[in-house]
Amino acid sequence: MSSQDNLTDDTTDFGYERVKTAEKAGRVREVFDSVAAQYDLMNDLMSGGLHRLWKRFTIELSAVRSGQTVLDIAGGTGDLAAKFSKLVGADGKVILADINAAMLSVGRDRLIDKGALNNIDVVQADAQFLPFEDNSIDCITIAFGLRNVTDKAKALRSMYRVLKPGGRVLVLEFSKPTSPLLSKVYDAYSFSALPAMGKLITDDADSYRYLAESIRKHPDQESLLEMVEDAGFVDCRYHNMTGGIVAVHRGIKG
Amino acid sequence: MEHDPAVIAGASLAIETVIAKAVELSPGTQSRLKQLHPLTIEIHCTQPALEMFVGVEEDGGIQIASYRETKATVLIEGTWRDFSRVATASDPAAALINGDVKISGDTAPLMQLQTIVGDLDIDWEAPIVNAIGPVFGHQLAEVIRAITRTSGKTHRRMKRQLSEFILEEGRLSPPKPELDSFFTAVDDLVLRTDRIESRLKRIKKRAASLTGAIE
Repeated sequence: MSSQDNLTDDTTDFGYERVKTAEKAGRVREVFDSVAAQYDLMNDLMSGGLHRLWKRFTIELSAVRSGQTVLDIAGGTGDLAAKFSKLVGADGKVILADINAAMLSVGRDRLIDKGALNNIDVVQADAQFLPFEDNSIDCITIAFGLRNVTDKAKALRSMYRVLKPGGRVLVLEFSKPTSPLLSKVYDAYSFSALPAMGKLITDDADSYRYLAESIRKHPDQESLLEMVEDAGFVDCRYHNMTGGIVAVHRGIKG
Repeated sequence: MEHDPAVIAGASLAIETVIAKAVELSPGTQSRLKQLHPLTIEIHCTQPALEMFVGVEEDGGIQIASYRETKATVLIEGTWRDFSRVATASDPAAALINGDVKISGDTAPLMQLQTIVGDLDIDWEAPIVNAIGPVFGHQLAEVIRAITRTSGKTHRRMKRQLSEFILEEGRLSPPKPELDSFFTAVDDLVLRTDRIESRLKRIKKRAASLTGAIE
């Protein structure tokens, strides 16, 4: 049980709602089934294209080199995987993993269109139970995915297990704005504009309301840092981006 | 003050896009850049504190990043003011070598890169032709060339005529020989004043010694 996850023996958060732990994965799947086709377009609209810059910095922090193996969890539509594919080259490997089949399907199609599947394996997997050997991965990234995982601590431990010693995990996730003024503007935007945009583009306001709620229920920078350390990682740190709206946490397997 | 990585990433992306476009439109540049791989230049601005890395990729592409863990081939260090001086100098290479910017590491590939940048010959007609076809594209490029030529000539002529007007007709500023003569006269006056001052000091000293002898 993890206090940061608000996870009790039988219930957990699903946005602002409490649901049975066993039900959460299914509810999250419904959300992403609904938004998969328009996911990238919505990301661009909701963030004003900023998600590309957040991901760009995450890739810089990964310090991935040619020949390495990278696991992109909750990789969805494969934008990070495509970039890593170029960095690891023909001698390396990228594993694009997501629990949601609809998102993976969109991602695989995009990667085929880009001609980037040569060194990419596409795997449907749950972040809490990664189906990979111990000490087999050089770098793990999870971008905007950890907050949807039922037991985040378990997922971080699973990542620790599959990472090679010296390998690193990078968690890119929405976080807590550092300025109270920005926080108010951000709240107004998330709970008014976001569902309205979702309704207009995907005809699904509820899924985007869930996204906004799940961001608020996600641990802030310091709490997540503690969780990464508790999972066993060392030399842990985080970088705030766009005033703390997003943060990228880094941990190294000692 | 810590910089927001997203802002730096945005600036890096914009610069990278412009460079990529310039390289794409300059035939032969990409293959020359390929030979410089794996050159990494670390640009360390000490004031304000900022680090940027410029890397040449295997395919000849240029990558700009704010974070890298691999050791840079060459380190360029200086303040923002030093870098601005280099960027605005008529001969940036000479300004880089003779200025306050410190360079360490292997500078040979840096010089090669500077030669490649100097040889950059951007075929800006190509994207116009690609967008609107070879016939109209070429015509439009000719019109742009004519406008650029004419505006360049006009700019040079205006500059010359304006300086002539300021000096000769408007008498708003004195001509150079007049200024030189004035400065010579001022220098002469300064010298003469200095001489008078030292002469006065000597007379005062003598007067003081004479007064002491009488008493």
